[in-house]
Amino acid sequence: MMSALHTRLFGLLALCWGCALIYFYHSQRIQDYLAKDFHTLVLAGGIGIIVLGLYSLINPQEKKSSCDHEHKHDHDHHHDHDHHHDHEGHLHDHDHGEEEHCGDCDHEHEGHGPVATYLLTLVPLIVAMNYTQDKLSNRGMAKKGLYEAPALNGLDAPAAFTREDLEKRVPKNEEGEFQLQLFAAYWAAGDREVQSIYEGLPVELEGRVAPEKIGNEAGDRMRIFRKIMSCCAADAQFVGVSMEFPDDAKRPAVDEWVKASGILTFETIDNKILPLLKVRVVIPTEEPYSEFLLRQ
Amino acid sequence: MTDSTRDQLQDGSYEFLAIFLEGLPFIFLGTLVSGFLGTYLPRNAFEKILPKNPILAIMASGLLGAVFPVCECAVVPVIRRLVKNGFPVSCALAYMLAAPIFNPVTAISTFKAFNDSYFVVGARLGMGYLIAVLVGIAILRVAHGRFLKPSAQAESGHEHHHPRNLNSAMNNSLRDFMDVGLYFTIGVILTSLLKTTWIDPTTDFWKGLTDNSILATPAMMGLAFFLSLCSTSDAFIAANIGNFSYAPKLAFMVFGPMMDAKLLFLYSTVFRWKFIIILLAALFVLTGGLSILAETVYENYWESAQP
Repeated sequence: MMSALHTRLFGLLALCWGCALIYFYHSQRIQDYLAKDFHTLVLAGGIGIIVLGLYSLINPQEKKSSCDHEHKHDHDHHHDHDHHHDHEGHLHDHDHGEEEHCGDCDHEHEGHGPVATYLLTLVPLIVAMNYTQDKLSNRGMAKKGLYEAPALNGLDAPAAFTREDLEKRVPKNEEGEFQLQLFAAYWAAGDREVQSIYEGLPVELEGRVAPEKIGNEAGDRMRIFRKIMSCCAADAQFVGVSMEFPDDAKRPAVDEWVKASGILTFETIDNKILPLLKVRVVIPTEEPYSEFLLRQ
Repeated sequence: MTDSTRDQLQDGSYEFLAIFLEGLPFIFLGTLVSGFLGTYLPRNAFEKILPKNPILAIMASGLLGAVFPVCECAVVPVIRRLVKNGFPVSCALAYMLAAPIFNPVTAISTFKAFNDSYFVVGARLGMGYLIAVLVGIAILRVAHGRFLKPSAQAESGHEHHHPRNLNSAMNNSLRDFMDVGLYFTIGVILTSLLKTTWIDPTTDFWKGLTDNSILATPAMMGLAFFLSLCSTSDAFIAANIGNFSYAPKLAFMVFGPMMDAKLLFLYSTVFRWKFIIILLAALFVLTGGLSILAETVYENYWESAQP
């Protein structure tokens, strides 16, 4: 049974949840967590939850007279359906003579008190909002594929891709280098046909910089990467291309957004084919509106 | 605090917020619908709509996701309220299990993720539907009290004159939202903890399974359970998670939307824990077995779905 106080407390909790959604939407932090398709849903959900919370605060309980049906049935009555009805623990054993009548009397007298609900929902939300950096650590990104080779059955890989297709579809920068999407360079390593077209290609890749952990014995490598997300950051994957720097080249800082130009090639390490950019130059660039490459 | 602990706290918080922010609006939508259904839907209304034959009714319910597409989070409060209003439990279970898979959004995302393969889409949706119907039929003769929580059981034959007004609908919605929201949050906490501490698909263990479908299939179902992905996006993960063969990827895409760590807690708002464990085991065996069987029978079709 929800007393008026419980309803108000739950209404207040709903208000907190709704405000959290609105906060993430309004502060644009939402773009670090959800694909763009879901942003409006968060806004609408936040508003709806706030309305529900406010409504419950203002109208915490129905009038007693709203539940005026007679509860004089006995529990041996015959049910009009043919299955055996297990009454063990059934909530029809509540006391209908109690003074404070249930709000909408739907016989749902099970539930959790506001204290437990507050503790188990609001506390984790506050803790998470306090500790999140709106991104994964390098360790977290590594678990989501940052240093992995592409699967051979890669995502939406183009069929019968030719050099002519490349010329038609991919723009060039002022230096005549193809401004290739980073994921295209990555997945090419899983497709021998595309790989043969990209091998030795002058390209410009845009992405964020991470330390390199593969094939970096000489310490002359870093990794450029992007995130791909379908719905939320929980399903995000990271795709990266190793960057090999000449001795005199200036190195970008970790986490910096850059445009890296050079020659795209492929190498085999531990029987896996991986893309490698032999860097000509790296220049800092603005972080894009959304770090995520969205659903194709 | 060590660097490792700090990373885990950061990643766990990030994962928690990502799933929470994505799932909460759907939970709200589901509970809003459930609240209004509970108030305005006449008891046993579905008896007039569904086929009289219980097996046909279960089969029809398994297709409802195509008409009322809902994700696995939103469907739980909806069926909970439908059951209370007299919707047959076997039909509700079939709808609950099939809807996250057998719906147009999931079909399109699977189609795109697997190189425009109608075969993979058909296999996924077909298997999801088949399993949902089989589970629905399996519980047809079981007493509801043995698997439904008391609070989720249909009100008995006596007629209640519940007020059908906005107040009642909003109160129902709020209560459902709090109940389901609580279990959803617990599920998300568990998922985030597991993903940041224990689950790592890039380890040698996973890579070593790629050539063995018999071992990889249960392992991938286990991964789907712990990752708790949304059914509309999990195909992209399945397509790219490694060089697994057909059975493990299909099992990943069918088992995950039916049973995962967060759903475990969401289901507990409707079902008894003992039943949830049995359901988990049944889904695990059915999905795994059918996936391996499908791989054996349709290997040639699968090959053609590869880019």
